[in-house]
Amino acid sequence: MLYQAIIVALIVWLTVGGQELLGFTQLGRPIVIGPLVGLALGDLKTGLLLGAALETIFMGVVNIGGASSAEPGLASALAVAFAINLHGGLGVALPIAIPIGIIGLQIKTLIYVLFVGPFASRFDTLAKQGNQKQIVALHYGLWASQWFIYSLIPFFAILFGSTATQEILNMIPKTIVNGLTVAGNLLPAVGMAMLMKILWQNNISVYYFLGFLIVAYFQVPLIAVAVMAIVIGVVSGQRDFEMHQLNKKVTEQKSLAAANVQNAQVAGAGNDIEDDDFFD
Amino acid sequence: MANNTLSKDEQKLLHQMYWRSFMLYSSVTPAKQGASGFEYSMLPFINYFYKDPEDKKEAMVRQMSYFNTNLAMSPFIMGITASMEKENATKKNFNADSINAIKTSLMGPLAGIGDSVFWDVLKAIAAGVAISLAKSGNFLAPIIFLLIFNIPVQAVRWYGGKLGYTLGSTYISKLYENGLINILTKAASIVGLIMVGAMTNQMVLFKVKWNMVMAGKTVLKTQVMLDQIFKGLVPLLITLLCFYLLKKKNVSINYLIFGIIILGIVVSLLGIA
Repeated sequence: MLYQAIIVALIVWLTVGGQELLGFTQLGRPIVIGPLVGLALGDLKTGLLLGAALETIFMGVVNIGGASSAEPGLASALAVAFAINLHGGLGVALPIAIPIGIIGLQIKTLIYVLFVGPFASRFDTLAKQGNQKQIVALHYGLWASQWFIYSLIPFFAILFGSTATQEILNMIPKTIVNGLTVAGNLLPAVGMAMLMKILWQNNISVYYFLGFLIVAYFQVPLIAVAVMAIVIGVVSGQRDFEMHQLNKKVTEQKSLAAANVQNAQVAGAGNDIEDDDFFD
Repeated sequence: MANNTLSKDEQKLLHQMYWRSFMLYSSVTPAKQGASGFEYSMLPFINYFYKDPEDKKEAMVRQMSYFNTNLAMSPFIMGITASMEKENATKKNFNADSINAIKTSLMGPLAGIGDSVFWDVLKAIAAGVAISLAKSGNFLAPIIFLLIFNIPVQAVRWYGGKLGYTLGSTYISKLYENGLINILTKAASIVGLIMVGAMTNQMVLFKVKWNMVMAGKTVLKTQVMLDQIFKGLVPLLITLLCFYLLKKKNVSINYLIFGIIILGIVVSLLGIA
């Protein structure tokens, strides 16, 4: 059992965590994890079939903080491991694996908000100090440690069996987990505020509210908002460009006029009419 | 690709950027998403372009800002950002704010394109093929799945970075010489602000669960009432409050992050959300 617990935990660490390290490579999908766990536990066939079945179930799941769904990677790893141990099919494995997958997602949120979250400002401080070594170390260190903590779930789940694990995990107060989910949903506000600090100028600030309004009331997908934003940006840019050209012409004429006035002054000795004011 | 216009050093830097950009979201945080990963991908350029340690620090602080886009699209933005850092390093009165303005205006639109092309279409194709292979017992299914998905993605990442850098190097310096960079910055800031507004609505989420109950009957559904006033009012106000505290009061984001975590737990304990 210890061997199985370690190997499954390692697979979860390297696939579910690994797809965060090697971004966007889909290593943590059920279709990959299923056969991998199957191979490690000596039943590739079951792993392959369960992986395919789970991939179909989880195809549409893209986790964005919602506590309602299960984390596909953890759920698949455990489902395959239990199915092989209990010599059962999907019907046996899924009812055990899905609840742990759901709790797994909550634990993931917990780690994300409470453990990794506060380091955002540490990164800022390090950047201010120009401390590159520490930034790199923290960047990798946070990855390794948060996914190590996460992979303890499959480790204990297999070592102590599913019911015991579920009972222990259920001991975390519901309100705290819920509160952290609420906080996780609100925390992007800080990131948005920092972007606004960069982009905000009083003369264009109304556009922020335009963007908010469009999505809030018309539920337009982000891509349509983007195209519209670009149209507005181009129109405004064209007007600014015309103004720029106009300004250039005016300054050219002004310097020309100034030269003329100077000539006139030399010729007409103090007879100056207030020509200059016209251009100001 | 216009490879021949890039120097050997620049090619090397771009390759380093490609490999480093894999790690964009390794230590993703709720508040700043891939900020540290973006910084990590930019470090080779920063070290190469800037000689003065103070300029280096300034660039590092600049690149540690919020970053979130589709991973396949990120090297393109990194390429453009890197080319602007180069301009900033060589031209003394370059407006450094324009770097973040353009970076920010790009990430929203490219996230939209990337997510629909790669997440929705490509992943569905790859999974569809692999599932049918696996069901017929073909052991190559996971490998085929990874290849179908990753070959196009990696090609976009590899060439996207070079394209971004070449485009940036050609056009940014031209715009700069014409004095048009300020116009571009303003236009980019407008696009950026609209996208940030849109993202605020999509990403900052808050739903009130608490309803006024009288004699076992719900007399007031709080969230419905709030929506009637203005949809997404609470997230908007919280974001604006964060912005106000950050800009006017210079509150450190540490306090903001902990404040929001405490707020989340408190409203959960009170049963509000």
